[in-house]
Order: sequence, then C-alpha cells, then structure tokens
Amino acid sequence: MQEDPGADAPTAVPPGAAQPTGIPATRPPMASDTLDAVQAALGAEHAAVWVYGLVSAFLPASFDAGIDVGALAHRARRDATERLLGASGATPRAAEPAYLPPQPVTDQASALALLITAEQDATVAWRAVLDRTDDADVRAAAAQALTEEAVRATKWRIVAGVSPATPSFPGQP
Amino acid sequence: MTRSPLTRRAVLRAIAAGAVAAPVLAACTAEDGPPAPDPLAALAARARADAALATAVAAAVPALAAPAGEVARVRGEHAAALQAEVDRERPPSSTAPSSTPATAPPAAPADPAAAKAALVDGLTAAEKEAGGVVAAVPRHRAGMVASVGAACASLREVLA
Repeated sequence: MQEDPGADAPTAVPPGAAQPTGIPATRPPMASDTLDAVQAALGAEHAAVWVYGLVSAFLPASFDAGIDVGALAHRARRDATERLLGASGATPRAAEPAYLPPQPVTDQASALALLITAEQDATVAWRAVLDRTDDADVRAAAAQALTEEAVRATKWRIVAGVSPATPSFPGQP
Repeated sequence: MTRSPLTRRAVLRAIAAGAVAAPVLAACTAEDGPPAPDPLAALAARARADAALATAVAAAVPALAAPAGEVARVRGEHAAALQAEVDRERPPSSTAPSSTPATAPPAAPADPAAAKAALVDGLTAAEKEAGGVVAAVPRHRAGMVASVGAACASLREVLA
C-alpha cells in the first residue's frame, strides 16, 4: 500500500516506526481468532490517528513535537497493519468517520486524558493479539506495538501528572 | 528393472527402521538429564533482582525515592506473576529448594547518576530478554511476557 496522499500524509518516517519491510506481498491467511484481534488492533490505530489529529488544537505549541511523533507512529503502524492484513488475504477494516471521546475535549487536561486513553486502548488491542496468535510475524509486530504505545502512554501520563505513570502489565485487560 | 523391487524393499525397510528408531531416540532424550529450564524462571529472577536493587536505591538515594519505588513495585509484581506461571506449569516439589532463595540485598550506588544508570541498565536488559522469550513461548504466555517487556521500557521513562 502506498503512502496516503492526503493532507495528513507524513513526509518522513520516524526512526523505530513500523516499516514496510518484513511483510511479504502474500502470506498465509490468519486464523480467525488472530484475524479478529488484528482487525480490532487496526481499529485502535485508526482511532489513535484520529485522536492525535483532534487534540493538537487544545495543546500549546510546546506539545507539537510529541504530537507529531505520536501521530506519525500511529499512521505507520496503521499502514503496516493494513499491509499485513492485505497480504493475508483479508480486507483491512476502514476507519470510522469520527470517534466519540469518553470525555469531551475542551482544554489541555482533557486533551492529554484522551491521548492517554488512545495509547492505552491500543496497548490493550495489541496485547489481545498476542493472546490470540501463534503467527511469528503477527506476534513480533504486536509486541513491538505494545511496547511503543506503552512508552508513549507513560510519557503522556508523566506530562499530565498521572500516577502511577505505568501499569505493571501494560495492555493487560 | 530387476533391481527396482529390491531397491524399493530396501527403502521400505530403511523407513520402517527409521520409524522405530525415532521414538526410541526421543524417549532417551526425554529421560536423560533434567528438563530444560523454564525460560520464564530467568525472567522472574531478573525481575526479583531489579526489584531488590530498586528498593535499595529508593532507600539510599532520596532524590530517586519516588521513581525507584515505582520500579521496585512494578518489577516486584513481574517477579510474582512470572514465578506463579513457572510454578503453575511445573509445580515445585515440596522437597525441592525454594525457587526464591533469600539473597543479600544489593548495595545501592550512593551517587544518584550511578544509581539511576544501574536501574536503567537492568530494565534495558530485562526488556531485551523478554523480547527474546516472547517469540518462543506459547500464546498463553506471550501476552504476559510482552507486557513485562513493555513495562520495563515504560519504567525507563519514569526514571528519565
């Protein structure tokens, strides 16, 4: 899948972000429990991309770098997950037109809370993939996503002054 | 043409011999020596060591009391959960020595920078070790091990 040419298309890929390498053009179909979990994780990535687009309006410019890095990482993870699903013969789930935040976003505090929620939801989704796959490629991608998103959730909790800054088992429901 | 049946018979005999030999070899391997150590036991030991060091740092270095206390809490929970999984899969016999032998508490570096570096090094090594184990365990363990690795990476942010 080629880069999305839309207005939000990233111009560079951050180091450590999901890369297109390593996903063959075609691979065996996923088991149905794995497929459902990966589609759910893709849904969490779509939601995270949307959230990062929403919150920037409520955060001062000093947050721009962190927002850009997170937004870029989720777009890269979304694209890599779509490629993985497509190569497995599945149709990647599309993004919703909009998402309903659990709390309305009106200021810096509610914007940070939504960022934490989005990262946390993504860790839960990828952890669920790990519990539902024996596929080495899927497992490696899920473990990498879980770690990156747990780290970003921790960074946002620290910024927001939320304690504890990390759960003991990120992504564990 | 005349050699063909002989050859086929020889091949069949060889296959039959192999079919018999393989299980015998497998059985020998299984019975010789102790079973391979549970990979989660090493992760549990490392988590215990990290928790002990973090506890010592939290007591010795006031500037690091809060973040080191956080490392001690999380790594202590990792140690308990990993050990519980090790014991669930292979229950320890009552005569075997305790799987958590008491060890002397580690000496915490008094210098804050050195103490922080020691904690970060431990977490980095733990994350790497968990990453290697994730690929090789059954799915019911993969999620927990990956969460442990993700928590170690997150704790580095707490110390940053």
